[in-house]
Amino acid sequence: MAHYATLLLPPVFFFASAVAVPFPMMLFMAFITGFIWDARYLPSASNTIKSASGSLISGSLATPELVSASGFGFGVSIILFAFLGTFLQGVRPLFKRGRLELPVLLVGVTTFLWLLLEFLMMTFLRGSLFFPGAIWSKMITDTLLAMLASPLLFLLLYSLAGLSRYEIKYDGLRYSFDGR
Amino acid sequence: MKKLNILALLMFIAAVVSVFMLDTPTTRMIQSRAMAALSPFVHSSAAIADGVSDTLAAPLDPREIKQEYDRIQIEVERLRIISQKYTQTLEENNKLRGLLEFKQASPYKMIAARVIKRVSTTWWNAMIIDKGLLDGLATDTPVISATGLIGKTGKMAPHMCEVILLTDEMCRVSAKIEGTIEQGIISGERAGLDMRPDLRLRFLNRNAIINPGSNVISTGEGGVFPAGLLVGRVKRFENKDITADAVVEPVVDFSILEHVFILEAPSEETQPNK
Repeated sequence: MAHYATLLLPPVFFFASAVAVPFPMMLFMAFITGFIWDARYLPSASNTIKSASGSLISGSLATPELVSASGFGFGVSIILFAFLGTFLQGVRPLFKRGRLELPVLLVGVTTFLWLLLEFLMMTFLRGSLFFPGAIWSKMITDTLLAMLASPLLFLLLYSLAGLSRYEIKYDGLRYSFDGR
Repeated sequence: MKKLNILALLMFIAAVVSVFMLDTPTTRMIQSRAMAALSPFVHSSAAIADGVSDTLAAPLDPREIKQEYDRIQIEVERLRIISQKYTQTLEENNKLRGLLEFKQASPYKMIAARVIKRVSTTWWNAMIIDKGLLDGLATDTPVISATGLIGKTGKMAPHMCEVILLTDEMCRVSAKIEGTIEQGIISGERAGLDMRPDLRLRFLNRNAIINPGSNVISTGEGGVFPAGLLVGRVKRFENKDITADAVVEPVVDFSILEHVFILEAPSEETQPNK
């Protein structure tokens, strides 16, 4: 087990789906995935306890064991998912044609970027840039697991689209110019 | 860009802003509900993982089981005798305290819990136990094992709770080095993803004389953890610009934890005043 590396199923499912759905649906899915992810995995912040009126120190300094913030706020994952999902919308034409090589590669790239951005934000907000070797091994292993799982998820999405008669078409961020 | 996309983007921005404006109690309530909703999946996945590991494990030899049973029986007898002596000593101690007009120092009550799974998904070091709000637990309560301090409780579900491990940077403990006046704040390293990552006792005096191997214990001055809980042992001492850090090896092996105890803080009326 490379430093608790695991298959991050909800984000990988989102990244795989982000190439298959239109832009508004991608934003909706980014909101739902990010919200559920933060609700489930972001450590809960402690309530700030006010110190006694006569105390020289106040707020969290009076109770150093109570941490009021986990590094970044509730909802940041939503923005990260939307940002990376928008990036993935660019390969929708390839996905529509049934070519899976680039989408699989990009699911890996976005998984890696998402983990890196999350760690960068956490380390920056906690006041120092700190990169232990273990984080690279975790991020690379997580990325490889995501890339291994993504063809299966793409096949699942094709099957779901077939069953529901949904046509995967490219109308996301297309710029339309009517000649005037 | 199509009008529909612009409309979707505006609605998305409005929704994100409203999420960012949620206050701490609301986000905690959302997290608690999310954990409660997902608890059946966590329980069932843990049960499946246990089942698979039991199936894959080598079959046990009946002779070995008998030997283990005999050894445990002897251990139970030995502990029973120690428990009786402890009760006698406690009674004698209480009588002497009464003579000296000390208030009764009530020992901490403990709630036993089983570790369901280790959370390996994120950058935070946490695990999930099978007791929660309805079992009498609360957030920010110390969690210990027979060997030492493990961490504190975090998000709560009715019968499930997340424990933030001592190896996480977010779990900070006011601690001191036993036998000295040196005290600081101990916490884990950022993204301490090793099986047994070191801890760091910060804000120590640069001129302190600290011997490797010294015990590090909680001071009880930080607001969450009571005094006297063993945290770890000093590995080495490092001088920084203004203060110094001690690198501490935790006494608990977090990778093999199966059962833990959650301390129930004594009520204010029963707390010792001397």
